[in-house]
Amino acid sequence: MTTIPSWAAVAVSGLLVLVAVAIASWQRLGISREIVVAALRALVQLLAVGAVLAWLFAHAGVAGALAWVLAMTFVAANESRRRGQGLPRAYTAALVGILVATASTLGVLVLGGVISTEPQVLIPIGGMVVSGSMQAASLTLSSLHRSALENRSAVEAALSLGLPAHQAFAREMRTAVRTALIPTVDSTRVVGLISLPGTMTGLIIAGVDPLQAIRYQIIVMYMLLAAWAVSALVTARMAQGAMFDDAQRLVPVAA
Amino acid sequence: MRVDRSELFTLEHVSLVIDGRRILDDVDEHLHDGVATAIAGPSGSGKSTLLRLLNRLAEPTGGRVLFRGTDVRDLDVRQLRRRAVLVPQRPTALTDDVPSEVRVGAPHLTDTEVRSLLVRVALDPADFLDRVPSSLSGGELQRLCLARALAVGPEALLLDEPTSALDPRSADAVDAVIRSLVGSGLAVVLVSHDVLRAGRVADDVRVLHDGRVTARGPAAGLDLEHELMSPPADGHVHDVTDPRRHGTSHLPHDHEPVPSTDLDPTPEQP
Repeated sequence: MTTIPSWAAVAVSGLLVLVAVAIASWQRLGISREIVVAALRALVQLLAVGAVLAWLFAHAGVAGALAWVLAMTFVAANESRRRGQGLPRAYTAALVGILVATASTLGVLVLGGVISTEPQVLIPIGGMVVSGSMQAASLTLSSLHRSALENRSAVEAALSLGLPAHQAFAREMRTAVRTALIPTVDSTRVVGLISLPGTMTGLIIAGVDPLQAIRYQIIVMYMLLAAWAVSALVTARMAQGAMFDDAQRLVPVAA
Repeated sequence: MRVDRSELFTLEHVSLVIDGRRILDDVDEHLHDGVATAIAGPSGSGKSTLLRLLNRLAEPTGGRVLFRGTDVRDLDVRQLRRRAVLVPQRPTALTDDVPSEVRVGAPHLTDTEVRSLLVRVALDPADFLDRVPSSLSGGELQRLCLARALAVGPEALLLDEPTSALDPRSADAVDAVIRSLVGSGLAVVLVSHDVLRAGRVADDVRVLHDGRVTARGPAAGLDLEHELMSPPADGHVHDVTDPRRHGTSHLPHDHEPVPSTDLDPTPEQP
């Protein structure tokens, strides 16, 4: 095991914040104050998260860990909703998408015996799934929102031929799901070449043999591919359901 | 209410209020089968909205719309939209090749049927079958959209500004296709801000101002420029549908000749 930095070492790293502040004030960027505030905020947030996680790992158990993941899901859905602002029931669509994606991928990993159910595994892995699902839901909602504004004429032309909503909107749905999947497919393709992803980096710093560390990374990557796909698809389906009314009409969508 | 067999659409005291804004105000109209009816008016008069009420892309907040005597809300909405196909204002291709475009609403059409639909809209199949829709001119694309609409076998076409995006020659070609379709027995309801062009292509005209019908009658019987520029005072409708009641429909001009029929830039407020 490598040595974990002491608090004194952390304090020394604080000098690097001063470097950033020095550059900002020297170049008169007008963001010196913001840099200091952001750095302090990060410190406080991480202290709090560290304390909470320490407590959770010691006391939460499986149920507590799952409750924590569930709470993250609600926060994530609220974040995604902002990308679909103007769409009806965007929050519900994102929430269901993220929930289904998280539950199904975590479920497969746990039931398949791939990961253990200890809080120190479930919470960080769950966090990665929720975060990936959230990004997929956000991209899906923002693509659907753009389509509803830009392609209304085409969608209504198809509806006016008597096509059902799901057919009239099929192209927009495909575009939304494809758009949401591109980032994760791209990052999966170049993994290890351009960036050393977080899970692997963390394990290697903690002293784990790289050939063992990549196993975890492979699992995480495959899990995220599934999570993004499920979240994008479910979010899109839910959103589509809310975007058309009983008379097969595309409801008004605010810009 | 007694319903005339030849009546295509009936609007009974139809109003539409959105966010406190009155888009349509007590529209009470009979649109007839087998003819082309133009709904003309300046932009913002509510004419496109009125068209969208007919196939339930929009819903009135008051009154009701009947299709052949049946409340449109009592019809299966997809059936209604196949019986009265609406072609939106901006001609838009939905696929990447001409035969697929014609088949959007009718996937099982044979090649022969696709060809004959193209002929009906004056697109020579020999030239157009292999073309990509995005390479078509505005007028050709509009006619392809008409073929796509005809493919589902409608009883009526609802056309939203079918020629507004086109140069005069292409517009004339589209108008000629519309006339030939009406001649073959199809009913057409079309919306236009170009009242003279509307008068040439339509048999019947309704003039709409600020959500109210201000004139109705046969295209030949109305002085359309006058109707558009000088709508009657509040609540009055200039009705020339019954010549016995009104005698000659021609009103003396009380204004200078209008240089242009495109009234969008300066819609006159009543």
